Amino acid sequence: MSVVLSAEKLVKTFPGVRALDEATLTVTAGSVHALLGENGAGKSTLIKILTGVYRPDGGQLRLPGPDGELRAVQLGNPQDAQRAGIGVVHQERNLIPAFSVAENICLQHLPRRAGLLDRAALRTEARRCLDLLDLDLDPDLPVSRLSVAQLQLVEIAKALSADSTVLLLDEPTASLTNDEADRLYGIVRRLSERGHATVLVSHKLEEVFAVADTVTVLRDGRSVAEAEPLADHSREEIVDLMVGRAYQQVHLAARTVAADVEPALALDAVATTAGHHDVSLAVRPGEIVGLYGLVGAGRSELAKALLGLDQITAGEVRVHGRPARIRDVGDALHRYRIGYVTENRKEEGLFLDQTVARNTAVTVWRKLARLGLVRDRSERLLVDEYADRLGIRLASPDQHAGQLSGGNQQKVSLAKWLAADCDVLIIDEPTVGIDVRTKAAFHELIAGLAARGMAILLISSDLPEMVTLADRIAVMREFAIVGELDNDHDYDRMSQSVIRFIHDGQGVVA
Amino acid sequence: MRSVIRTNEFTLAVIAALGFAALAVATDFNLLTAGTLDAFLRFLALPIVIGLAQMVVLAVGQMNLSVGVLTGFCAVASGWLMVDAGLPAPVAVLAALALGAVVGLVNGLLVIFTRINGFIVTLATMTILEGLRYGVNGTGTYQGYSPGLRGFGQASVAGVPVVFLLAVVIAVAVALFFRRTVPGRHLLASGGNPFAARLSGISNDRALVLAHTLSGLLAGFAAVIVVAAFGSVNASIGDDLLLPSFAAPIIGGVALAGGMISVTGTVLAAFLVRLVDVSQSQFDINRRWVDLIIGAVVLGAVLLGQFRDKLSGGPR
Repeated sequence: MSVVLSAEKLVKTFPGVRALDEATLTVTAGSVHALLGENGAGKSTLIKILTGVYRPDGGQLRLPGPDGELRAVQLGNPQDAQRAGIGVVHQERNLIPAFSVAENICLQHLPRRAGLLDRAALRTEARRCLDLLDLDLDPDLPVSRLSVAQLQLVEIAKALSADSTVLLLDEPTASLTNDEADRLYGIVRRLSERGHATVLVSHKLEEVFAVADTVTVLRDGRSVAEAEPLADHSREEIVDLMVGRAYQQVHLAARTVAADVEPALALDAVATTAGHHDVSLAVRPGEIVGLYGLVGAGRSELAKALLGLDQITAGEVRVHGRPARIRDVGDALHRYRIGYVTENRKEEGLFLDQTVARNTAVTVWRKLARLGLVRDRSERLLVDEYADRLGIRLASPDQHAGQLSGGNQQKVSLAKWLAADCDVLIIDEPTVGIDVRTKAAFHELIAGLAARGMAILLISSDLPEMVTLADRIAVMREFAIVGELDNDHDYDRMSQSVIRFIHDGQGVVA
Repeated sequence: MRSVIRTNEFTLAVIAALGFAALAVATDFNLLTAGTLDAFLRFLALPIVIGLAQMVVLAVGQMNLSVGVLTGFCAVASGWLMVDAGLPAPVAVLAALALGAVVGLVNGLLVIFTRINGFIVTLATMTILEGLRYGVNGTGTYQGYSPGLRGFGQASVAGVPVVFLLAVVIAVAVALFFRRTVPGRHLLASGGNPFAARLSGISNDRALVLAHTLSGLLAGFAAVIVVAAFGSVNASIGDDLLLPSFAAPIIGGVALAGGMISVTGTVLAAFLVRLVDVSQSQFDINRRWVDLIIGAVVLGAVLLGQFRDKLSGGPR
């Protein structure tokens, strides 16, 4: 079969991270090509390059020209990618609710006549795209009236509207029921019979094996399997490829957790308005409990519900053995001494336009104030102390947080909770976008906090990080805990078990 | 030292000094005579306080369209209390301050309970107050009230008008509030990044209500300055204060998106606007031209701010 997309040795570097390291993806016409890899393996970066969002630092992208010969292309923006015949359906919805189905499908190239919208042509074109999917939907219906599954299909029709030869589907069934997913994959198969190529990104291996025929596996930005027939591999082999065996363990000082101590934070069959059900967890002083799961599994949402940003509808939360009703973050901090180091330090953790001193002291201003006034000097002393303890490199405490490097920013957002003297810390994705050396320093830091008796709930999508740090690993899938494992720090064994929990969702507690 | 020179405040101070010197020369040093200088500073008090009233809501990323009209409303109300109700001046003054704060509090509560944008809420209260203002005494004028209060409006200490000193004291208090007090810092944190503020244990709702209440209180102070310094009040007071209330903080470098304020910048910008005003009266320029100039300067200041952000790589 002819090649319709060839990405060769793509390299993409972000400050401190090599997201793609000579990744290769070759897609042939009529195939359903699974693109697999763990979180952070480089899948999203690769997709963003294929859709013109990022430009690669190295390697080349080749697409067939009018004569069918492959030639190198530069995709400067998403419009370029569309014109080149690459249609994409992102994980998040990109439809305009008030517009009709037809208007949404043809949004990028609305047909015009005499400068005005040509409604007849619009309807015809939309009808054609819907027919490709054998979808019987009124093109004049506003999309706000459609179901989640219908929206997903309209997105695909939209992606096909520009005569796409390659369709990229990023986790297309994340919000669909099993029946709806089956229907969607029926459509994908039919498209491939008509010669369209589909690149499918999915964490659900059962779906991948049911629908895809070819597979590329990314690990650490490299393709460790390149366009291999999926039938040649077993599930176990695929998981091995994704996880890899080259993992080097960082050795941290051993900690012992007293087993008979009352948990500092305990959840008992908790359900929340965010959608969690039957979540039970316990973190004892001095213990690091990992909460692992894929993006969207409900981990950060659980943290936020615990802090009162969503309501707890059933079950019980206990802090040091006593039932707790936490209304907001202030309550968590002042009454229960629970801190939350947020996932997105730039969006949720820091005040980028304000000084490091203010960012660090924000949780303790009330304590620093004398007669209602906060003294700058006491704030600076506090920053000096934590800059020293955490190794934050600062030009001055008056430096703006936005000017710091990612690692230093993360340390500042950790410092504000240490300054507040918390004894339970929920740490969410602490090392995303942080280089390897700072990451190791962070791991030592977190282990050190636990060694001094802090109870830590660590949320991370980084499995090596989990295996390095956690004493126990709880696995969350679809807003429920599907398994809990004692961490024996054997990476191969742990990752196999964890990934099995995630992909099969079996509710076995080991 | 270089970091001081590169600040917006320094630029404004230089422009203000040059502008003042140029106007002094152009008026054959008439500007420096005691009487002219006194009037210059006396009528600078109002733009400073009204600019600060707008600044405190800008700090949390909100706007208060009702500041000008609220100032007029409080002024008319205190005039009514003294002239028609016959109450003593201190009561009228406290009533003006309380009325401003209460209207501000209502603005804030409306914003957090209805979740309607503050722009719309204050547009509505502005319109309502506009009606009420004329409802109190129609188009009539209150005058001849408390000699003590009017005396306060005309008094000077060492050649500096007392109302101007009052404005400076208010500015210092506002600066201290944002710089050193916990609620002030909460306001800036909430305006700078509401998500991070909430996840640091700060209530954004409380910050919004506090900012609007303070804004109202400052409008109340502006009303007291008007009543004292003008010697008479009528229902048209406050109609022309909306643009100056935005002009001072925006030219002064306050971020419209919230989280960044400058009391010094706001005061200096009010000074600049006053310079333009005085030039108009000195050279008998058409009033319309003054509005045009101030409008253009506001637009220029915002563009300059964007340009500066781009040059320095921006906050992000």
